Amino acid sequence: MRNSNLHERDERQRDCTAAKRSFLRSMELNAWLAVSTATYVVALVLIRHHPAWSPGWKITLTLTPIVPGLLYLRKGMQLLRELDELQRRIQLEAWMFAAMGTVIVSTVINVFNAQGLEGRWPAHGLEVGGTYMTMFILWGVGSTIANLRYR
Amino acid sequence: MKNGLRELRAERQWSQGDLAERLGVSRQTINAIETEKYDPSLPLAFKISFLFKLPLERIFVPEADVKGTHRRGHA
Repeated sequence: MRNSNLHERDERQRDCTAAKRSFLRSMELNAWLAVSTATYVVALVLIRHHPAWSPGWKITLTLTPIVPGLLYLRKGMQLLRELDELQRRIQLEAWMFAAMGTVIVSTVINVFNAQGLEGRWPAHGLEVGGTYMTMFILWGVGSTIANLRYR
Repeated sequence: MKNGLRELRAERQWSQGDLAERLGVSRQTINAIETEKYDPSLPLAFKISFLFKLPLERIFVPEADVKGTHRRGHA
């Protein structure tokens, strides 16, 4: 009886450590997404407040979010290779869900805008920040669905 | 794919965590294989086979075989 309790505690501890490690890894990955979104917002605000800046400088600022975006991609690929096979499948399913979902959301918004329909959706499509945000939210949803499927 | 992983593990009195550690995968993977929600990759299936010192077909049985259907070429 005592042995089985110890065993259960050991198992719980192991699960807790694995969950903590996985959470930290996800946070490390999502930190780059947050940096990219923040850079985009800062660039947008700066450009709006300084219309007299040269076009070259404006282009450089607009493209800045791509740098953390690329680092996000690199980190994501690195983490994907380190995952065990079921986790890799879950992440691939989640990413597929996020990518396809973002394409669908973006297309629907563009169709609405092209038809001249006005509503609570962005008038110029998802744009960079909106795309990242939609992808992040849909990744969370996809990841939860895939995790529940293999639980 | 049916498998006898849970029974083999129980025979050795290993927990899912113990087996996961021995195979270098997560406990969720072991649980998903045991509940037949996930079929392992060929390298992992071989790892399991080596660990239990049993041939693959003794651990993993295709659904068709479980239902008693003959496999193609084995009629």
